[in-house]
Amino acid sequence: MEVNTEDNNVMEKVLLPDEQEIDVELEAKEKKYLRGEGANLELLKDKKLKSQLASREKIYGKSAKYAAKIEKWLLPASAGYLETEGLEKTWRVKQTDIAKEVDILSSRKQYDIVLPDLGPYKVDFTASGRHMLAGGRKGHLALVDMMNMKLIREIQVGETVRDVAFLQDEDLFAAAQKKYAYIYKSNGAEAHCLKESGPVTRLRYLKNHFLLASVNKIGQLRFQDTTNGSMEASIRTGKGRTDVMEVNPYNNVVALGHSGGTVTMWTPKMQAPLFQMRCHPGPVSSVAFHPNGHLMATSGKERKIKIWDLRKYEEIQTIHGFHAKTLSFSQKGLLAAGTGSFVQVLGDSSSGSSHNYSRYMNHSMVKGYQIEKLMFRPYEDVLGIGHSMGWSSILIPGSGEPNFDSWVANPFETLKQKREKQIHSLLDKLPPETVMLDPSKIGAMRPARRKEKPTRGEIEAEKELAIEAAKSTELKNKTKGRNKPSKRTRKKKELVESAKRSFPAQEHSAASKKRRIGEEEAAELPASLKRFARKK
Amino acid sequence: MGGLKRKSSSKTLGKAKQRKGPHLPSSILKAINEKRPLNSDEEDDELDSDDENGGDVYEYEDGVPEEESRRNNRYDRVDNYEYELPEDFKVFFQHTRMLQDVSGLPAEVFKGEGKSERRKLYTEAYPESEFNPTRDVLEGKDSVTFEELLAPLEGKPGYNELRKSFSRMRKNTQSVVHAPLPKPERERLDRKSVRGQVDKEFDKWVPLVKRNREAPTVYFDKDVNLGYSTVGAIASEFKPRTKFEMNMASVLGGNEVLEAHRNDGVSMEDHIKDHNRIAKTRSLLFRHEIKSKRMKKIKSKTYHRLKNKDLRLAGESLMDPELAKEEAMKQEIRRVEERMTLKHKNTSKWAKRMRSRGLDMRYDETRAALSEQLQKHADLSRKVNSMNDGSSSDESDDEEELNDASDQDTPAKLLAKAKEKTLKIVEDDEVPNSGLLSLPFMARAMKKKQEEANEEAKRLVEEYEEWENPDGAENPKNSVNVIGRRSFGETAIVEAPKESKKEANNFYDNSDSDNDMDGIEDNDVVAVRDNASPARNTGTITETEIDDVAGNSAPKTTFDVALFASGSWKKMTGCKNAESKKASKTHVPISQAQDKKESRDEESEDSESEAEQMVDGILTSASKETFEIPSQAELINRAFAGDDVVDEFEKEKQKVLNEEVPEPEKPVQVPGWGQWTNIQNKRGLPSWMVREHEDAKKKREQALKTRKDARLKHVIISEKVHKKAEKLHTTTLPFPFTSKEAFENSMRMPIGPEFNPSTVVGDLNRPEVVKKTGVIIKPVKFEEVNPNDKADDEHPRSHQKQRPKKSKKVGRGQSKVKSK
Repeated sequence: MEVNTEDNNVMEKVLLPDEQEIDVELEAKEKKYLRGEGANLELLKDKKLKSQLASREKIYGKSAKYAAKIEKWLLPASAGYLETEGLEKTWRVKQTDIAKEVDILSSRKQYDIVLPDLGPYKVDFTASGRHMLAGGRKGHLALVDMMNMKLIREIQVGETVRDVAFLQDEDLFAAAQKKYAYIYKSNGAEAHCLKESGPVTRLRYLKNHFLLASVNKIGQLRFQDTTNGSMEASIRTGKGRTDVMEVNPYNNVVALGHSGGTVTMWTPKMQAPLFQMRCHPGPVSSVAFHPNGHLMATSGKERKIKIWDLRKYEEIQTIHGFHAKTLSFSQKGLLAAGTGSFVQVLGDSSSGSSHNYSRYMNHSMVKGYQIEKLMFRPYEDVLGIGHSMGWSSILIPGSGEPNFDSWVANPFETLKQKREKQIHSLLDKLPPETVMLDPSKIGAMRPARRKEKPTRGEIEAEKELAIEAAKSTELKNKTKGRNKPSKRTRKKKELVESAKRSFPAQEHSAASKKRRIGEEEAAELPASLKRFARKK
Repeated sequence: MGGLKRKSSSKTLGKAKQRKGPHLPSSILKAINEKRPLNSDEEDDELDSDDENGGDVYEYEDGVPEEESRRNNRYDRVDNYEYELPEDFKVFFQHTRMLQDVSGLPAEVFKGEGKSERRKLYTEAYPESEFNPTRDVLEGKDSVTFEELLAPLEGKPGYNELRKSFSRMRKNTQSVVHAPLPKPERERLDRKSVRGQVDKEFDKWVPLVKRNREAPTVYFDKDVNLGYSTVGAIASEFKPRTKFEMNMASVLGGNEVLEAHRNDGVSMEDHIKDHNRIAKTRSLLFRHEIKSKRMKKIKSKTYHRLKNKDLRLAGESLMDPELAKEEAMKQEIRRVEERMTLKHKNTSKWAKRMRSRGLDMRYDETRAALSEQLQKHADLSRKVNSMNDGSSSDESDDEEELNDASDQDTPAKLLAKAKEKTLKIVEDDEVPNSGLLSLPFMARAMKKKQEEANEEAKRLVEEYEEWENPDGAENPKNSVNVIGRRSFGETAIVEAPKESKKEANNFYDNSDSDNDMDGIEDNDVVAVRDNASPARNTGTITETEIDDVAGNSAPKTTFDVALFASGSWKKMTGCKNAESKKASKTHVPISQAQDKKESRDEESEDSESEAEQMVDGILTSASKETFEIPSQAELINRAFAGDDVVDEFEKEKQKVLNEEVPEPEKPVQVPGWGQWTNIQNKRGLPSWMVREHEDAKKKREQALKTRKDARLKHVIISEKVHKKAEKLHTTTLPFPFTSKEAFENSMRMPIGPEFNPSTVVGDLNRPEVVKKTGVIIKPVKFEEVNPNDKADDEHPRSHQKQRPKKSKKVGRGQSKVKSK
């Protein structure tokens, strides 16, 4: 033992401080990849299971270590950042300043597209951030490849367009138009007209479930399966018209913001909301979810932005004096809020589990532009802004995830990869009932129901209590003839019997009765058939 | 055993009697017995039989129970006295009384008889002799020894022998075989020793079994040697055994044969060379075969055409005259055949039908097919020697002339001839007066065809003329010349768009406004940019639909997105935008009117119209007009929109709570019950009902308190069961698990290849038993396993281990033995 500790000491001495730091960092990452603690094996009695679980844990540890190392050493890119010196403040840095500092490729990502005629634009990005869809209110739909800034297709639907959303990838996209929602192919051909859902105000797509969620003018929330077209759910929210809808990326629960200041959470397979929260005294104007699914940001018309912890159903922070018409969380957790012609980006200044959002960057558009929709472009430090005069794109350093995972989303996808992925994602399609608040509980033990039937033991205990109570009841003194001891005992017995009777006979007694009957029947059988009778 | 016991008890009945009374502890008795000489008296045997430790080997006796043995003083002797005395006394008194009666002596005389005075006279039934020895003699106690018997014989003959044999006997008697232990005892001892052995044997297996049980995977892949793998291997092992085989071997493997082989003339090197050559040719052939197969597989027509052409050319250049002749003959035969049958002269049923219906005119493909057939016909019916000629006139009659011409004339002349001919064709267009072709529709079709042909001919003539009087550079002319034949193709191309345009126009006319963009988008970009086509579109759209944005949307705005990349900060769109702006301005009033109409139509769409008003902000002059300050009522509404939000939410929450945890019903009696008299009415409901109601209320409150949202005023968390999702959870724990935590923690990590490095995926997903097909699973072999070693994954394949099931069996057997 001593030798060992000495060895350890020597090792510690040898380790440089840098290496120690690396070790600490790796350990933290390893912990992340271990996804929680293993079971306490000491409590297990089964030795075989114990050893099996122990070996399992060992392999898990190996895997986590490997993943941590890969994350540490092999991932190609590091996240962007904005660093200030002295009295400089990050929110004083303007886009023009950034443009001077960044490389040519990045500087090309700052631009305004001015389309003055066809109304405020909604924008949507594919999961990989490769393609953008812009939907002008007055019927202009444009599909743009952001990598080479090529306009793939633009169409004029000749109707009001209220919202646009990509489906699985850029091949199909949906547009909420005047009367119905439509699905278009990337070449502009109309693939479907979704007449069932009526005049849709908001569209969102649940990627893992292949569900197109839409909320219409009369406040009906509908989930339509895009693989077979079936309407998976049609829910009356009963809260009136709304055009605030967002999907929680972690568990695919759909959130609706209502005019009464409440935010409700819905799943396709339940008619009632999972929970509702009174977030604002006035109408909710927009909702956004942090990619980790635990944080929600809401903004109300009373000029407040609130950040909520969805695990505790608690408000963590209120940001005053800013009415956000639209909110958006970036992959790295920056929160962008847009109103009028002003964009504010909030950053989480605190580290760890507590959150403290404070201003990180500002951007003001040309006066008079009305911002309609903000959305961070995935895997890029870019914020897309759809406004009344077209759309713009600005650089927000540190907003995007620097390394993409080609299993999840690949901006450089080849045609073959895309096809393969389409098939895979179709095979991996999740049924709509898997949308739940805590999806990690799938496959675990069923949560204990509120007790409806007492267990046998409880019934027994209750019965005993009742009998005791019956036994200990003191009988009143009755008139002479009725107060005989025999009568009293008989009365008591009756009481006990009635107490017993009030508890229905247990099931097992019935079963035994049945068995007995079976045996009796066997006794009646002729001798030659007796051997077929059920034996004990 | 029982029987034996009974026997012994019957033998020592008296003894049993004695034992019943109070007596000394056995240890003391033992000491007394040791002191007392063994062979003193007859009565001693009773005492002997009394003590178990005396070692009377013939009689089996159970060990004295502890309470009787009184080794420890745990048992109260007084109890025993109390219990046993009465009987003892009874027996004693009976006996003494009997003796008294018989002898007439006082009872005192007999008192000490059992214990103190135990001297009894033992009279033998027979006189003592060698045939009837006393018990002492039999037991060897105090008996005559051999020495004593031998002493008198000393010095007599045979004495020594006798002595020797005696001493030998004695030796034997010293190692006398003791009487065997009673059977049960013997068996027990046996079992004991055997069990020790077995335990040892099994204990040595324990670490091995443990390792196998705890190993995540058991491998059976050590004994993969399945014997011979090839026929050669088997043959090499062959040894002749039978006579016949021997003979054969001697013949085949004899020296002479080998010698003969050696002198065969074929040396080994030659043989190898030969072999190599054959192998090479074989491989070449094989490759060729593969290649030709691959070539044959190719379906491309162009490829085959080119290939055939190549072949033909090659054949012509390379073939020897005989073959060429043959080929020519073949060609001639084909030609004759073709001329006889006119198979490819569009005489087929299909071709006729096509032509009769005029389909060949309408569809390009049909026409192409027909002309192709004609081409084929021409090719086939061409004379062999004219094969090199490039001309492709149909009629073989003319061909000769042409050939002649081509032989002699200059191209100019040729052209002139051609021109003449075409003109001739153009001029004579006579319609047959009778037959099928005279039918009106046929005539029409013919006419059409004729016209087309005429047109073509005219074009041709023009071309001819161009060629005839060349002006300017010759090179372009030449190039035209080269593709002269293709002029047909060009015309076709020119025509095609016309047609498609016509179709497109039709399409626009017929189609609904919904899908009109389709057609436009399918056209070329040029077509879209063309000002004419959008204009047409706008016409159609505005005509067909009345919409809020139709007027504005009509002019198509195209943005050269590629320009974005140039890095300019802001970019207004080009002239087209300006146009569209103008258009929009002109359309503004209409759109506004429509807006208003719409808002009147749909009152609920207020926010939308509002947004539309806000749309263009301050910048656009058009939108300035549209922007309206919201009315006072609206402003007030907006200001007070969220006034009693809190109250409403409270109500909502109460509603949800009532729904999920319903309030107990108010106790009501059956109508008319308990309302006979005023008193009953006054008394109100019976107390049990009230109590029940209160209980239910309490229960409800309790339930409400335990809800998650009990303390969160701003939240309503539904506690409804997500029934559809219940199937995604398990109701019972899977087998080896006994605790929920352990199970859920073991589930937390994904094991798929998407989430784990490839080095670990195998370990995570390996089955419990890995076995190769064909491997025989042998019973587990013993091997030394260090019990302190954990089951290692690092050298999993070092041993063939046994399946855990089998090892379990071993374990069970072990336990059986132990339990015995």
